[in-house]
Amino acid sequence: MPTNEHLSKQYDIDLDGLRSLVLAMGGLVESQIRSALDAFATGDAVLAERVIRGEQEVDAYEISVDQECAHVIARRQPAAGDLRMILAISKTVTDLERAGDEAEKIARMAKSIHASGRIPSERVPRIVHAADTALSMLRQSLDAFARLDASAATKAVHADAAIDEEFRAILRQLITYMMEDPRTISTALEIIWVAKAIERIGDHAKNMAEYVIYVVDGTDVRHSGLGMGRKRDEAHPEEAG
Amino acid sequence: MNPAVAALLAGLAVLAAVWLGYHINNVGKLRRWLARPQRSPVPEAGGSWDSVFALLYRHEREHTREKRRLVHLVVRSAQAGRALPDGVVILDGSNRVEWCNDRAESYLGIDRRVDAGGPIVNLVRDPEFVRYVEAGVFSEAVGLRPGRNPSLALSLKLIPYGQHRKLLLCRDVTQEEKVETMRRDFVANVSHELRTPLTVLSGFLETVQELDLDRERTHKYLGLMAGQASRMQRIIEDLLELSALESAPAPERDERVRIAPLLAHTRAQAEAISAGRHRISLQLEGDFDLAGAESELTSAFGNLAGNAVNYTPSGGEVRLVWKATGDGATFTVEDSGIGIAADQIPRLTERFYRVDRSRSRETGGTGLGLAIVKHALARHDARLEIESEPGKGSRFTAHFPARRVVRVEHTA
Repeated sequence: MPTNEHLSKQYDIDLDGLRSLVLAMGGLVESQIRSALDAFATGDAVLAERVIRGEQEVDAYEISVDQECAHVIARRQPAAGDLRMILAISKTVTDLERAGDEAEKIARMAKSIHASGRIPSERVPRIVHAADTALSMLRQSLDAFARLDASAATKAVHADAAIDEEFRAILRQLITYMMEDPRTISTALEIIWVAKAIERIGDHAKNMAEYVIYVVDGTDVRHSGLGMGRKRDEAHPEEAG
Repeated sequence: MNPAVAALLAGLAVLAAVWLGYHINNVGKLRRWLARPQRSPVPEAGGSWDSVFALLYRHEREHTREKRRLVHLVVRSAQAGRALPDGVVILDGSNRVEWCNDRAESYLGIDRRVDAGGPIVNLVRDPEFVRYVEAGVFSEAVGLRPGRNPSLALSLKLIPYGQHRKLLLCRDVTQEEKVETMRRDFVANVSHELRTPLTVLSGFLETVQELDLDRERTHKYLGLMAGQASRMQRIIEDLLELSALESAPAPERDERVRIAPLLAHTRAQAEAISAGRHRISLQLEGDFDLAGAESELTSAFGNLAGNAVNYTPSGGEVRLVWKATGDGATFTVEDSGIGIAADQIPRLTERFYRVDRSRSRETGGTGLGLAIVKHALARHDARLEIESEPGKGSRFTAHFPARRVVRVEHTA
């Protein structure tokens, strides 16, 4: 059955191409976030502007992945594992696009903070640490997606709790500053926006890691405190997507 | 039937059976061996099968030897590939990972056991790299800062080879980038340092040219201009000295520098800068000289003593101490001056680094003094130690190793 074999090979190429497209978009979002944070830490307005413009490219990726997904579904009518893959891809793209939006938000905030000449120097290190954690989580999720490695994805899901804790700590610290000196309130509010954006990036990375587990194992671990069989860390059983 | 014929037939039958048995047995051996040739040696047999087995044995031996040679070759090339100082990834026609060495694994965060067969752009997702791979023009390299270690600067280059294959070379260029940044900063700093006095100078020139000034005013302005000119001259002299220190070969160890007169000179210089505003003491413990270049040591010691005077308010104290230690000798300059904050200390010997710009200019510093000290000392195998407490004073100590220290022999 040479024709059938040929067809299924073409099908594999389609699916692989789709995955590569998602990962290329992931790489773009990773670099957008890193540049946005650099712009925030250094006050580089040109870099911030580049991130804001780059957002259009992220959107373009989202549209082309969605179209490609629709094509594959229409032409191949995928089943079982392939169907899970297509579903996961289409959800991953949504989360990636939103993570890209958060990068844009950070870049806009960086621009406005530095345009007003208020430099949030002493608060930056803490934020940078939270941002590094979120970025590494996003990288782990995308790596897990590239390798279809459910155990790496599980680790990424667990890392989210650390970012949430980091966010709460930043919040507490900023509240202390604001109570001590009301003049810091406007800067502190802007920093909270950035911290919140970082926290959201962590959430999106967590969602993406959960889709990887879904593709590999066929189990939906969202809202379940991470599938019973895979739980390693008992500390946050109530965390849900 | 004739019994003799019967016996003959029976004999023939027995012979045929034995002959057949011999062949069936050997065919069986051959079949068993061929099923698993690695398990046992080629079987042996007598008669006509012997030559068959012998040929087979020779063939098998040559085959094994050839295989061993090839395995050896493959292992050796793989080992050579793994030992390369740069990261190497072998990509197939559709840019999928075929093999990579350990260095590439750690640079790019890939794993050859897991990632073999996967597209490289799925794992190295940097948009610039993805564009580079897709563009298919590989004459230039592309830069990459890996996400897991952004302090690392990599240069990636694709080299097509064989049929459709590509070699991805990853080189660590962190050091090169750092040197390049330093060079750029240095040029920018020199220009800035020279431009400042030049701006003042041309400002006064314009004033003197265009305004009709009285004698006293003119005299005053000319004095200020001379000050700026000599400042530029000092910067250039210091720069030349630094470049001489960097490019000249290390000083010989057999040239002996007499420390006592050198330090007396250093002290006199410091007294001149101080103009009586400080108490300056010199203490020599032990008769030791140094092996090295006198001019460089004079400059290093002079800079240390001069700094101490410049950064100590009037009425303060500056102590110069030359002392033999267990493993060499030390020259210490101690002051009761303004001191230096701990986080500034590591940067003090950077060119043009100043803790307080206005103060340094006021005292006529070029920002190069400690850089010269550091270089001159390093050329004498010595290291500079800086201790300080803001508000209390600083202590700069040059530690010379024993091989640079010469005992003074008193001849009658």
